[in-house]
Amino acid sequence: MSQSALAISGVDKFYGPIDRGVHAVQNLTIEIDKGEIVALLGSSGCGKTSTLRMIAGFEEVSRGTISVAGRKVHTLAPVKRNVAMAFEGYSLYPPLTVRENMAFALKAAKLPKSEVDAKVASIAKLLEIEDILERYPSSISGGQQQRASLGRALIRQADLHLLDEPMGQLEPQLRAVLRGRIKHFIKERGLTAILVTHDQTEANALADRIAVMEGGVLQQFDTPDMLKQRPANLFTGTFVGEPPMNVFEAYIGAAADKINLRLPDGLSLDYDKDAFSGAVRDELLKRERVVIGIRPYAVRRSKDGVPATVSANQWLGDQTHIAADFAGGSLVLVEHDRTRLELGAPINVSIDPKNLHVFDQSSGAAISHGMELA
Amino acid sequence: MEHTSLLERILRGVALTLVVIFFMFPIVWIFMMSFQTNETILRIPPQLVFKPTLANYTALITGKLTTAAGTLDIAFMRNLWNSVFLSVTSVAVALLLGVPAAYAFARHKFRGSEDIAFTLLSFRFAPALLVLLPLTLYFQKLGLANTYIGLIWVYQLICLPLILWIVRGYFEDIPADIEYAYRIAGHSWFATFRKIALPLAGPGIAAAGLLAFIFAWNNFVFALVLASADKQPVTVGALAFITSSGIQYGQISAAIVLSITPTLALALYAQRYLVEGLSLGAVKG
Amino acid sequence: MASLELRNVVKRYKSQTVLDNLSLTVADGETLVLFGPSGAGKTVLLRLVAGVIDPDEGKIFIGGEDMTDLDAEFRGVGMAFQNFALFPHMTAFDNIATPLEANRSSQSAIKAGVQSVAELLKIGHVLSHKPRALSNGQKQRTALARALVGSPPVLLLDDPLRNVDAKLRFEMRLELPRLLADRGATVVYVTQDYKEAMALGDRIAVMSQGVIKQLGTPEQIYREPANIEIARLFGDPTINLLDVKPSRDAKGIYVGLSNVQVHLTGAYDAMVGRDCVIGLRPEALSFVDESTPSAIPVTVEAETPLNEKIVTLVRTVRGREILVSRPAGTPGQSEGRAHIAVDGKSALLFDRASGDRIGSKNVVNLRSGEAA
Repeated sequence: MSQSALAISGVDKFYGPIDRGVHAVQNLTIEIDKGEIVALLGSSGCGKTSTLRMIAGFEEVSRGTISVAGRKVHTLAPVKRNVAMAFEGYSLYPPLTVRENMAFALKAAKLPKSEVDAKVASIAKLLEIEDILERYPSSISGGQQQRASLGRALIRQADLHLLDEPMGQLEPQLRAVLRGRIKHFIKERGLTAILVTHDQTEANALADRIAVMEGGVLQQFDTPDMLKQRPANLFTGTFVGEPPMNVFEAYIGAAADKINLRLPDGLSLDYDKDAFSGAVRDELLKRERVVIGIRPYAVRRSKDGVPATVSANQWLGDQTHIAADFAGGSLVLVEHDRTRLELGAPINVSIDPKNLHVFDQSSGAAISHGMELA
Repeated sequence: MEHTSLLERILRGVALTLVVIFFMFPIVWIFMMSFQTNETILRIPPQLVFKPTLANYTALITGKLTTAAGTLDIAFMRNLWNSVFLSVTSVAVALLLGVPAAYAFARHKFRGSEDIAFTLLSFRFAPALLVLLPLTLYFQKLGLANTYIGLIWVYQLICLPLILWIVRGYFEDIPADIEYAYRIAGHSWFATFRKIALPLAGPGIAAAGLLAFIFAWNNFVFALVLASADKQPVTVGALAFITSSGIQYGQISAAIVLSITPTLALALYAQRYLVEGLSLGAVKG
Repeated sequence: MASLELRNVVKRYKSQTVLDNLSLTVADGETLVLFGPSGAGKTVLLRLVAGVIDPDEGKIFIGGEDMTDLDAEFRGVGMAFQNFALFPHMTAFDNIATPLEANRSSQSAIKAGVQSVAELLKIGHVLSHKPRALSNGQKQRTALARALVGSPPVLLLDDPLRNVDAKLRFEMRLELPRLLADRGATVVYVTQDYKEAMALGDRIAVMSQGVIKQLGTPEQIYREPANIEIARLFGDPTINLLDVKPSRDAKGIYVGLSNVQVHLTGAYDAMVGRDCVIGLRPEALSFVDESTPSAIPVTVEAETPLNEKIVTLVRTVRGREILVSRPAGTPGQSEGRAHIAVDGKSALLFDRASGDRIGSKNVVNLRSGEAA
């Protein structure tokens, strides 16, 4: 038996009769190591919440198995799975104070009062809810309820911590520091956490690995860096990363020692054949049409780049976002300095083939990332 | 998407059938009675199989009621016309007055607006008998007794609060921003009322109108006291079948069938609006 | 010419004062962002300008003309609402056409006007749809088209990107400046998102509890916030705030951070020995070698990437938490012991009791309409 904290193996979820109902999760297999933070990322209806509910035991598994800490749990009642959960709707017990809510599971486990108090105090400090411990859920703000709910989940000693959209309602001023503290807390105690979110920023900030889901199908399961550098398909490529990846349809052409990528409205990006590895070159020349993607921070301004005009220049304090229009398209670039460009000013943008992602036009599957085949 | 077992489906079917029988039985029975003569109706035990006759309907339509004691003139068709006229006109007047008032109550919170709205609603709570005697006296003094105008006026007690409260809820459900957007686009408040508020509250207005129509149609007490024979609606007119020589069950049944047909047809036709209108408007109003 | 001016405007709801003697001038063609938490009075202010609610006191001028007593339909402003406020029973075309119908344009002029603005906003293909059949992004564009179509001299945009997803919001944010610049309209834009505020505003008015707390360019608001509250509202990650007591030595004014002296540039002499708060933007901190002068020893607690930045939570030897941010791909430290350095020039110093920034020229009280 494997020692993984969570092993989901060949899991299907149907709403309605098996094989005929709505196929919400399709043949999902994921293994998570102890001490890892994993994010299930996707838009609503992608199957991430169904997956979480199956792990927690609120939803039956239609097919396949789920093991937590080496124990098959998918037929057990939720209470027997030793899993802690923070709910998206908080689900705090209304007749209990924040303190009692947080202490509830510990009291049920018959921990001595002094230990319970100490744990509550330390988590309350972490989440900055010390001054609302004696308040009732109905009398605190949404952000505070969310923190209390997070506290109630994190305080437990469980094999697995499930966090459903745990930080969506947090006050923006607290978000960055709480992310850091929570990540530190989880890592320090060696907890294993699964975080369900639609917000790729949240996933990137907290997770060691991210499982990107869409339409009930796992698209890619990888580290945040790999998702950015080597997205498996167009969906992950555009879903992960903010600002989002610039995407263009392009026709592939070859001339003498050049490969050129022609965008539908005229612009042509010409590259030396040597800019691509032999394998990539062969793969590209097999096709007529592809989709190319370039991350905004990989777009550079250089004299020999494509001529374009500035259509927006927005400084956000520590980053500048620039939109540039060129014949037949526009793209976004990000610079970390304060750049000052007038609207309508001419600039030249260049796309280094090293940073170019190429996707199949019909399937969306990645063909190459820079020099390497996908 | 639901997966229910066979047993569950059978049980549900049985339960539904029982409910339908329970509620439909009186209507079906009356419908059957309307095609029988008094003799077959009064036979014991009652029989399900009989020879249908249209005599009751003929009597109603021709206005000649033949009983053992002789022929009696009845004004049923006149009553039916009165019902239609009174109900339609009352509802029309109530809509004309109530819809703009509802809009005012929904959009303009002025001092005492809540009290006025509640006072209007309280007319519906007050037992009709309470106001009936003084009303009769006033009406006689004013010359309104036994006039259509007088009756329509009194019927506003039934229709107006209903329309006011249901439609008000509907207007309140329209986000104010939508109307602001139309004003800012350069349209007057009246154009906004006509082009935005009215169409959007349309289903609610229709539901309220229907409900008011049904209530007006079913009214008995006001018409009994304030109208004499030629202005009476069917609800009161049906009393004529309780004659000195006995109760004419056959004709009563036929009269009931004829008089519930319009409301039933309306209710069936518009039940979707009714349910929507009432559940939406009433909850929020 | 259509400047906009509010003069000593007061608005009360029952006993609550929502706008408290507020004065504000927006120049012709300027985009002014009203920024602040919900309940600050931003939306009320827009509605007063639009004329759908009336002020209790004060005057409103558009293009120099007193509009205070004029009904909404005569003010000639365009407005986009947070919840779109589309007319559900009309097609997108009819929705957009409403301002043109009001000024009795001909059918062909209406058609041309709607078509051109729809083209601009890329919704030409959905004009025959009712709002119910539109995606959120299309609804938002339709609402914007309706506000733009009559080329109103004053545009009021009430948090128009609030209800669209992050990707669309980003896209629109980059698209809006051009749209607005093309129209040459005077714009008042309400938002709760500091990025939108900084990206779109020529000037930003930071509102709170019915009062403008600071009015300035994005640069001024970010670099010279009037007080702690405003400093915390701009920037992600949030500014680090640490309690300090400035001292003086031969090199000037300094504050002690974890027994390390950090010298500040600025006229802070009056604050020596007083209770202060130092504000350090996360991007003004950097990881350095131990040997760097004034390097502060810390331990790294967690690293949380954020939109092409790496945000690191570190803890000083005295247990204070600090957020450090750096561009993705630049060297840093992701665990264990480390040292950070403070850019003393960009440090902000606040008075702990009042929360006001020391040396702030902007601590103006705009309540009574004094100029900044």
